[in-house]
Amino acid sequence: MAVTTRLTWLQEKILQNYLGGKQFSLLYKASVHKFSGQNLLQKCCHQGPTIALIYSEDNVIGAYVQESYQKGKNASIILFALKETEISECKKGPYVLFSLFYDTNSELQCGYNGGIQIHLPRKEIYMDSDIVNDLGLPQKPISFQECEVFRCEDLLDQRRIAEVTNLKMTLLSTIRTYKPYGDLVQQIRILLVGPSGAGKSSFINSVKSIFRGHVTHQVLVGSDTTGISKKYRTYSIKDGKDGSSLPFILCDCLGLSEEDEGLCMEDIFYVIKGHIPDRYQFNSMKPISSSHHNFIDAPLLKDRIHCVAFVFDANSVEHLSGEMIAKIKSVRREAIKCGVVHVALLTHVDCMDLITKGDLIDIYRCVPVKSKLEAVQRELGFALSNILVVSNYTSEWELDPVKDVLILSALNQMLRAADDFLEDLPPEETDAKSEQGIMKCEVK
Amino acid sequence: MAVTTRLAWKKEKALQKLLGNVSLSLLYKSKVHGDSIEDMVQKCTHQGSTITVIYFYRYVIGAFMLGHYPELDNYSEESKSFLFSFRENGDTIETTSSDLNIVAKIINRELTFYSHYKDMCSVFPSTKTLKLTSSLKLLLKLRFSSPSTYDECEVFRVEGIKDNPGYIRRITGVTQRRNMLLNDLRAYKPCADLVSKIRILLLGPVGSGKSSFFNSVKSVFQGHVTHQAIVGSDSASITEQYRIYSVKDGKDGKSLPFMLCDSMGLDEREGAGLCMCDIPHILKGCVPDRYQLSPQKPISPKHPTFITSPSLKDKIHCVAYVLDINSINNLSSKMVEKFKRIHKEVLNCGIAYVALLTKVNNYSEVLEEDFLNMNRSATSQSQVMNVNKMLGIPVTNILIVENYASEWELEPVKDVLILSALRQMLRAADDVLEDLPVEETDEIAAKIQLCM
Repeated sequence: MAVTTRLTWLQEKILQNYLGGKQFSLLYKASVHKFSGQNLLQKCCHQGPTIALIYSEDNVIGAYVQESYQKGKNASIILFALKETEISECKKGPYVLFSLFYDTNSELQCGYNGGIQIHLPRKEIYMDSDIVNDLGLPQKPISFQECEVFRCEDLLDQRRIAEVTNLKMTLLSTIRTYKPYGDLVQQIRILLVGPSGAGKSSFINSVKSIFRGHVTHQVLVGSDTTGISKKYRTYSIKDGKDGSSLPFILCDCLGLSEEDEGLCMEDIFYVIKGHIPDRYQFNSMKPISSSHHNFIDAPLLKDRIHCVAFVFDANSVEHLSGEMIAKIKSVRREAIKCGVVHVALLTHVDCMDLITKGDLIDIYRCVPVKSKLEAVQRELGFALSNILVVSNYTSEWELDPVKDVLILSALNQMLRAADDFLEDLPPEETDAKSEQGIMKCEVK
Repeated sequence: MAVTTRLAWKKEKALQKLLGNVSLSLLYKSKVHGDSIEDMVQKCTHQGSTITVIYFYRYVIGAFMLGHYPELDNYSEESKSFLFSFRENGDTIETTSSDLNIVAKIINRELTFYSHYKDMCSVFPSTKTLKLTSSLKLLLKLRFSSPSTYDECEVFRVEGIKDNPGYIRRITGVTQRRNMLLNDLRAYKPCADLVSKIRILLLGPVGSGKSSFFNSVKSVFQGHVTHQAIVGSDSASITEQYRIYSVKDGKDGKSLPFMLCDSMGLDEREGAGLCMCDIPHILKGCVPDRYQLSPQKPISPKHPTFITSPSLKDKIHCVAYVLDINSINNLSSKMVEKFKRIHKEVLNCGIAYVALLTKVNNYSEVLEEDFLNMNRSATSQSQVMNVNKMLGIPVTNILIVENYASEWELEPVKDVLILSALRQMLRAADDVLEDLPVEETDEIAAKIQLCM
């Protein structure tokens, strides 16, 4: 009953990317709607740009037409052949579009185009020798098993962009007006921890950029393998150029490293508990001492970390060494002991194979992203719903609402997670309630 | 030149949710393809399941058809359908749908939907008019005069939907059932008000989904997926503290009338996992929230936070044995032995008990079409029978759920399973409270009088 394409996800993706980020809607399928040119044109007339796919034994042969199929219409056709993952192409025409498909109905016929014709009743496709040569196809009539025609729409058309922008505004408003659970603190502290080069500082810059309104690079970012961020930094983000502070602070610390140059594992506890002051210079060999002159002896709830975000580059997360994985798990166990919630953040998702900007709109539906998340769950032990995906700003000057939505959604998830942490605090640890207790005693 | 839908993204998302995460492909658009019934039929026939969407100024009326689009001739097969409406209310979109008992047909160039041989709705494309009966208007919560002129009509193919009427009926009915269960649980009061909150203890092997179940319950009441209890993959139990979780209704809502107690996972080895000697103390209510459990060393009555005289409200009122449904048939004999020892203790304490089977694959088929009862195929599977034999738990109290672990959004079928399981636990607890010895209830009544 269901009418579906026989394209695999990979084939569809290659074709979509090849045509510049299109989305396909199946309109006609020969095995369902009959191998008839008349039926094909019935379904496919006036549908805007379309692509017709012919499935033969070894190849998928395509004909992309920019214009709608209409009576009497002439247009150029881009012909291509997809074999495995390779595409060869040639452009031909203009042709009378109605003659592209042979049909017995003489009213539709204007004679053979001379270049290519698809004979649906015979399930054969005829092409001139120069087309055959250009596409690298065999020199004979090619028989096929199926023909499908799709409407091609831009993945990022005006409607989609408007909706994404709307969603961005909604998320911005949600985050600006966010109040931590029970007003226990004014700002949520989110700690970014992960291997060097994973994109921690880049994420902070991206968040800053969104609220600033243009791309900014205040936090130093580098590809240096030893990691540029050697100081512990707590970044309060302002809303706009001279706006008030937002209800969260992003904390950046030394990256993790397999060797001895990364974050000292003994420092993790002190970072999470809130003993380490802003701008403390980490030492890979030596953890902070309680006698250090800036050590915070009795951190309040507002000084503590409320959510830990493990940051990984989506393209290298599957190649982490055993030592790195052990370190990550060790940090996670420490966070759990401190009762702090945690999420995983995958960056640079737009650099993954076959992923284009249009895919970012519904990134969790993309097959490669799904399998990447499952790999992270399997190897590192994060719950799937705790794994967030973003694309940081790296080389752009201006903001892109599609990226903004990913970043703001991830941030929103972290704030929600922090609410869970605050709600779960033991009563004696909530300063506000302690003060209330004191007041009650005084009243008595 | 490009042919695109005018369906707003929010409405598209609402549609996808209504039908269970489907994809939509635009087939027909009246402003492009023409206003006649022939134009519509030409594009839409033999395309599988479809949705016809009719746009008015402030609302949308639509029809889902499970089978192929009807054809002009009178001999085409009738297509099972339901109608729905979207109404904008500020930032949100309200959705209402009818049951899947409406049939679509083309009669006299009108697309007609009728139920029990009575016309409910007619679409006349050439004049862009829609007729709706009063009862259907009431059902879909619409107010407009009939017939009325619409602005545009679009038809989409629905992809990724399961091809059977039971599934569609279930999908459209599940939200109603979910809301009913939510309201029941919010309004629930323990038997005779003996306690204000029922305490439910989750017990099970490492990785069986105890903490996930708590997160799932909380997610349902919060309205989004949440993770208060730590969850993850690890060979040892992630949970090491005894936790008593209260659940709030919404972000700043009041507490719900139950608490979920989470503890260290069971391990088949002695001296690993939850200490067997700790269990009687947990059941009686002697162990405080956040007590650090130890596999080798049970809590001592001399421990400073040990609750020496727990009252009824401190006790466990219901025990839920949590098991991964995929590993029940492979439980080691030592684990089974541990379960039996625990169960004997539970029986001695006179506590209600259920079994909770997690990680079911085909969660949408656990319940019957009306969501009132479990399916026979669910209750008769070998895992349920094994639990029934192992611990003597009646089949009605062997509950099946799928926790939220992989989604970012709530799913109403999962919600119904989770809420139904929770309701069964509360019912089981009520049975035990009702059966308490008279001296225990008198004691409570006496305490109440002292407080007055």
